[in-house]
Amino acid sequence: MRNKKINYFIIMILIPLSIALGVILFKDRKYNLISIIIAFLSCLPIFFSFEKGKTSTRKMTILSVMVAISVAGRFVFAAIPGFKPVTAIVVITAIYFGSEAGFLTGSLSAIISNIYFGQGPWTPFQMFSWGMLGLIAGLPFMRKLLLKNKIILAIYGVFAGVIYSLMMDVWTVLAMDGVFNARRYLAAVTTALPVMAIYAVSNVVFLMLAIKPFGEKLERIKTKYGI
Amino acid sequence: MKSFSSFHPTVLFLYYLSVIFISMFTMNPVILGCSLIGSILFFSMMNSPKVVLKDIGYYLLVFILIAITNPIFSHNGETILFFLNDNPVTLEAIIYGIAIATMLVAVIFWSKSYSEIMTSDKFVYLFGRTIPKLSLVLSMALRFIPMLKLQIKKVNQVQKTLGLYTTDSITDRILSGIRVLNSVLTWSLENAINRGDSMRARGYGLKGRTNFSLFKFYKRDGMLLIAIILILVTAILGFVFNIFDFYYYPAVSSLEITGVGILEYMFVFILMIIPFIIEVKENIQWKLLRSKI
Repeated sequence: MRNKKINYFIIMILIPLSIALGVILFKDRKYNLISIIIAFLSCLPIFFSFEKGKTSTRKMTILSVMVAISVAGRFVFAAIPGFKPVTAIVVITAIYFGSEAGFLTGSLSAIISNIYFGQGPWTPFQMFSWGMLGLIAGLPFMRKLLLKNKIILAIYGVFAGVIYSLMMDVWTVLAMDGVFNARRYLAAVTTALPVMAIYAVSNVVFLMLAIKPFGEKLERIKTKYGI
Repeated sequence: MKSFSSFHPTVLFLYYLSVIFISMFTMNPVILGCSLIGSILFFSMMNSPKVVLKDIGYYLLVFILIAITNPIFSHNGETILFFLNDNPVTLEAIIYGIAIATMLVAVIFWSKSYSEIMTSDKFVYLFGRTIPKLSLVLSMALRFIPMLKLQIKKVNQVQKTLGLYTTDSITDRILSGIRVLNSVLTWSLENAINRGDSMRARGYGLKGRTNFSLFKFYKRDGMLLIAIILILVTAILGFVFNIFDFYYYPAVSSLEITGVGILEYMFVFILMIIPFIIEVKENIQWKLLRSKI
């Protein structure tokens, strides 16, 4: 009960508070700073419920392995520009271990991969985007759907690539303008179209190739050790 | 060479938080300039001249790109310089572009030195109490990555020796990559289960366990902490009393130079170059000590 209250507190009070702060105190001009704070705050409810909830040490180590795999995967595919297996691994983790695990794998992968590839004000955005993609894939009905139907899985891969790219473009516009400029956003999205396409294609390729072998392994670990 | 990083993690974290916050909070050109100078000076103390020149060159391009594209997307401002495709290009938009480019590049340079200074062990130490589980997962993942990289290398070599996926084509690369990751996953999952069990066997999560830490809070940490807090408070007071107010649209406002204002700017400048000063001081001390031998 208590951790639910904390979650509601964050969502209901802190996020509107920071928006209000942005409007009143900063005269509605500090979108870049406020958006970073909000992206970060949005991650907190799940972080807190993970902290308060009961998690076995086995599940914690498995989570850290999935995070490490998704980051190490970036090194494996470093030779192919734009091919990052992070989204695919986050989605697969979410399908087998649920929303919370998906969100955590996504957001922690963002933190850790940025330790290697460059930390910056975009980190909270990446945390939020990858986390949400994991969270959605881990919802009970989505898990069933994504497991049963490969076409839906492929569509989710495309969706994930597009959403991730769109979210990152929001950050680009805020960073370059300080305010949200719709025309700049459109321009950023258009110039980022090839990147978006690579993201989408690579997600689909990774998901299609990895869901079966990776899934078997995760399923086996789940049944063998009862996680 | 890295004496700033030997300060206590709390002090360092607060320093970076306040510097990045102040830089992103305001559009005041003087503060942004101070921030850019401070971040680049410190970054150049931490890295070899070659790396520094390369990075500065790259971000100079980014800087120019942002500064010249802003007038294309923003037509605010009253001083029209010329028309581009029937759209006015204003002086104010160019100046605003330069200011926001300064902010972005400064924040990126701060983030770069942050990654070098706030190593993961410091981060885990700082948040080990408030978010024990997450920071444990983070630190375990950080340990797994070099381990996985080594394992990936081994598996990859074996695959190559077996003659699998040896060409450089993209399909081969992807297929071999997936194969290697797959085998590494099996290996590391079993590993993880063992690790989890042994953690439980050694009493992880039981009450009354203490944390080991290498970090001690010395007097100099306290002094730096007090200095940062004092400057931060004066800077916030400056924001509250609108001393740092600066507008770009419709016309660029002029900087008001008052006694208090100059004092405030000096404080902010000092805050921004603290790490640089500490490094320089340490270098001079080192050279002096060496010259005495």
